[in-house]
Amino acid sequence: MSTEIIKDTHAVEHHDSHGHDHHHHESFIRKYIFSTDHKMISKQFLITGIIMGCLGMGMSLLFRLQLAWPDESFPLIESLLGKWGKDGKIDPNYYMALVTIHGTIMVFYVLTAGLSGTFSNLLIPLQCGSRDMASPFMNMLSYWFFFISSVVLMSSFFVETGPASSGWTVYPPLSALEKAMPGSGLGTTLWLFAIILFIVSALLGGINYITTVLNMRTKGMSMSRLPLTIWAFLLTAILGLLSFPVLLGAGLLLLFDRSFGTSFYLSDIHLNGIGALSNSGGSPVLYQHLFWFLGHPEVYIILMPALGISSEVISTNARKPIFGYSAMVISLLGISFLSFIVWGHHMFITGMNPFLGTMFMYVTLIIAVPSAVKTFNYLATLWKGNIRFTPAMLFAIGLVSFFISGGLTGIYLGNAALDIQMHDSYFVVAHFHLVMGSSAIFGMFAGIYHWYPKMFGRMMNKTLGSLHFWLTFISAYLVFFPMHFMGLAGVPRRYYQFSLIPEFGIWMDVNILITVAALLGGVAQLLFLYNFFNSIWRGERATRNPWHSNTLEWSTDVKHIHGNWPGEIPTVYRGPHEYSRPDRELDYFPQYEKGNGEPDYYHAPSPADTSYDGKKEKASTVFFSSFAYLFMKRAKVRA
Amino acid sequence: MNTKVKQIFKLTLVAVIILFAANLISGSVDIQGVAEEQLSADNPWFGTAEKEYKPGKMETEEDVLHSRINWAIIVFVLLMTFILANVFDIGKYTARITGRETVNQNNVNRWLMLIFMIVGIIAVAWEYVYHGELILLNDSSSEHGFAYDSMFVITLVLTTIVFIVTQFLLFWFSFKYAHSEDRKALYYAHNNRLEVFWTIIPAIVLTLLILRGHQTWKSIVYARDNYKGKMHHVEIFAYQFGWKARYAGEDGILGNADYKFISGKNELGLAYEPEVDSLLAELKVRIQQDQTAIDTLDRTLKVLERNYKNAEGLRDYTNMESIRKDISAVKNGEMKDELEASIKRKVKQVQRIEAIKKDKAIFASTFTSAAMDDIITQEIHLAKDSLVTFDFRSKDIIHSAWLPHFRVQMNVVPGMPTKFTFRPTKTTAEAKKENGEEFEYYLYCNKICGSSHFNMKIKVVIESQSEVNAWLAKQQPAFIKKKMEAVPTIQTVDSTQMMQKDTTKTLALK
Ligand code: HEM
Ligand SMILES: [Cu+2]
Ligand SMILES: [Cu+2]
Repeated sequence: MSTEIIKDTHAVEHHDSHGHDHHHHESFIRKYIFSTDHKMISKQFLITGIIMGCLGMGMSLLFRLQLAWPDESFPLIESLLGKWGKDGKIDPNYYMALVTIHGTIMVFYVLTAGLSGTFSNLLIPLQCGSRDMASPFMNMLSYWFFFISSVVLMSSFFVETGPASSGWTVYPPLSALEKAMPGSGLGTTLWLFAIILFIVSALLGGINYITTVLNMRTKGMSMSRLPLTIWAFLLTAILGLLSFPVLLGAGLLLLFDRSFGTSFYLSDIHLNGIGALSNSGGSPVLYQHLFWFLGHPEVYIILMPALGISSEVISTNARKPIFGYSAMVISLLGISFLSFIVWGHHMFITGMNPFLGTMFMYVTLIIAVPSAVKTFNYLATLWKGNIRFTPAMLFAIGLVSFFISGGLTGIYLGNAALDIQMHDSYFVVAHFHLVMGSSAIFGMFAGIYHWYPKMFGRMMNKTLGSLHFWLTFISAYLVFFPMHFMGLAGVPRRYYQFSLIPEFGIWMDVNILITVAALLGGVAQLLFLYNFFNSIWRGERATRNPWHSNTLEWSTDVKHIHGNWPGEIPTVYRGPHEYSRPDRELDYFPQYEKGNGEPDYYHAPSPADTSYDGKKEKASTVFFSSFAYLFMKRAKVRA
Repeated sequence: MNTKVKQIFKLTLVAVIILFAANLISGSVDIQGVAEEQLSADNPWFGTAEKEYKPGKMETEEDVLHSRINWAIIVFVLLMTFILANVFDIGKYTARITGRETVNQNNVNRWLMLIFMIVGIIAVAWEYVYHGELILLNDSSSEHGFAYDSMFVITLVLTTIVFIVTQFLLFWFSFKYAHSEDRKALYYAHNNRLEVFWTIIPAIVLTLLILRGHQTWKSIVYARDNYKGKMHHVEIFAYQFGWKARYAGEDGILGNADYKFISGKNELGLAYEPEVDSLLAELKVRIQQDQTAIDTLDRTLKVLERNYKNAEGLRDYTNMESIRKDISAVKNGEMKDELEASIKRKVKQVQRIEAIKKDKAIFASTFTSAAMDDIITQEIHLAKDSLVTFDFRSKDIIHSAWLPHFRVQMNVVPGMPTKFTFRPTKTTAEAKKENGEEFEYYLYCNKICGSSHFNMKIKVVIESQSEVNAWLAKQQPAFIKKKMEAVPTIQTVDSTQMMQKDTTKTLALK
């Protein structure tokens, strides 16, 4: 491909000649362990996330084995699980524990901390143009709380009664009563502690991200020039900040109910072997309201960073401006707002007032509109592009595909009437694995492949990347698509085995197909792991701007330094997506390049739009800036 | 050099600390103090080892072979991925030598996009036909199920169209606009008219879906309120792990029931005074027993220790283990705490029952004569074509009653009565004709509730009214058979403690 711009190489030489030795005095611990540098913290988040991801996936493979071959004995399972895997079969209680911890790990540890933590940390300072996060120390704490939280969660595997096993939603009374199932003993206490630590981590991170984006942008970086990644991270952090405390409250009340005899969630219970409990006056449904008040925004906390990343990756690799920047931002805003008032769609059949169900159905289905806009804009961005299939681009395309497939089934589940039948069936498993699981994981992979050169200064192997993509893509569809039909045929989720119910016998071969496909997906991840870790040391050395991208992070040196830019922070002159401008020879025009007096945006009328004029552009700038201004009175644009 | 040595030293130190911490954590969280065993070599990686001695379990040769094969497969897969990965790495070196890519990857990926689209769409079509056969559609066994199915089909058609069109465009664009050196992408940043267009169109379509969904929802959930005629009520009672149905007896009224009244002989906790009185007496005795147990804990400890020695002499390892647990529970006070909690619970229960008995108004509205002739059954029998309301009640935790063939589902929540009203339209016999002789209707549990959640179901039989009546006549009433005199009870006093508030007023299946 075309050559690097000359300016870059100059800067590299310049830096080489003087900057180096300053940074060698850092002790090992300060640099790699208790680091306050956002780039290192981002790597810590990523590696921890990957490890947790491997554990979560390993668990899913174990319980998939159980589902596919319920009568088979796997010595492997016995040697891994001990008394929970007697005769090579997973104990029903332990099956639930695996499902629970699998869900928890994937949702919170991989796709919240691993995804948002990694890329918010890496990209917010680099793409906004600041030396580090607003509070590097809090940032470090955020990682360490996350780390301790992971350790606490995993330690529940060493508890005699096993880990929490009432599902990742941990509904009381099942989770509140120690005698209701083994996992509700010490395992659930540890689960709750882990989540509390996790929330602390998420809040520390979130405050930092928001403050940094609003206050520490470089000269010229107005809100309307922010890359969509940053918009996504900003809104994600706001969602987290507003909703995680509610889960904290829910968790604390549950702890009280468990340990101090309160009755927030308990009433009218007679437990086998215990007798009537004294708890009276509480409501288990209250917990569900509190949980889903976080739970629904949580799925957007997972998804939005992935959408932001894919916007950036698609625009860069299609060599086109993202279509409808303002519409993309507005739909993110719309999704964020709506996500706070739709939680009840998880509770249509809990017996809440049907009128409430109606309201929740209305708002839920409205969310499909901004989601549709986003999809169409992605498609329009690809149209007449000049697409380079880098691994990142492949994964971003995969994301769009999953987003469509999974998003459409949301229209079924958001419909209160249809949910009567589909609730808690395998249809739901298919839905959320596609739209939240696969989609967000693909966004994460896209981000890893795209910013790997920025993180590690080396390139990942492209061929392996493509292979990884195709295997994973195919396996994910094979695993999750047939589950729709199982659900529609009446197969309930969270069932340990189906062999006791002859009716479900017809799904046996499908179950086997799914497990084989999942194993294939597992093998594909081994390729990724090899590629990832091998490239850290043996990958090809990266150039400064390997993807010929416009955004600010590519103006920094390949080698990491504290403070990101050796000299002054570059000024930003234009929006992030000025690719393939007809008035330029190169097909990209970095935000930080002053240029020769070209306008910020290319203003010639587009073929299908004769009404294009600069005024609208201005109007949207004003709109976004004032939004930011309203949000925090001190939107300090350093201009 | 010196710094390097230092670094290595620090690294080792950190590793040791982490290992130590891990050891501490895994040790301290383990209430039984068996951490050491867990960490030793031939114990599981995670999960807890069984401490008990297993003399009966011998590894047969077959087991060993199996385990070898398993491990061999794992090693093989790892090896293959490693080799595969390296083979693909080679491309990098050849590219470096020749100065250009050996295979034009962009081109390969481009064609794969097209192939994936074609194969994918065919596969989806195949799924729709092949597995679509198996889904529950157009065979509803309830009245509202048809409204449900038509809502479903509308959504299915719309989403399928959007699915095919958008996925087609996605992969087609990827294929068509793949990179080429001699082309520049079209600079096309936005088009307001287009964007408004594809905001409005989904908005309109979704509005239609919402309105239609609203109608369907209303017709299902308000069926009870809109129905003026006589309604059959059946109570569906859920517990870990099973279901019971309760029908009104000859008086046609479902009596009161409450979790506080549940006892061995009164599984559903019916408000039947003699039974409640004997429960009260039993509770008082049990409180006494618990108190005695607390007072004699010292002696218990001695007995346990003696038993332990005996068991040790007999090498009865299972027994030893359980006695050891008891001993440590006595020693660390757990046993005492548990007994005290148990006393407290029972005292509270007694107080609450006695409070009901003391207040005349509450007493009268609670202990009506309606409960004693209620019929408790292990199957649900319903009459074809007559509207029925399920009154759900949970004994312990949340369950969910799902009858997929009837498009019926409702959570069963302790402390909160829930209901579902529907009209079965197809008898079991008719359904058997369609689906084969083995076919039965079931109600499944669909909310995770513990270890046997996957096996918590109850048979549902739809038949004619006269068959239902005949079946009911054969069932035993819960307590005594009562002659007719249905007294509709009036509830004036606060009765939040009572669950089945309004069922007392409703006439039930005759
Ligand atoms: C390796 C690929 C994966 C496979 C094969 C897989 C498989 C499964 C299956 C079969 C279940 C349902 C088990 C049951 O209901 O009995 C499940 C549950 C779940 N999975 Fe996955 N999954 C995978 C990846 C993911 C990812 C990436 C996410 C991220 C969102 C995720 C999140 C969840 C959640 C939240 C649950 C629900 C847990 C619960 O019911 O409490 N999974 N998984
Ligand atoms: Cu939701
Ligand atoms: Cu259940």
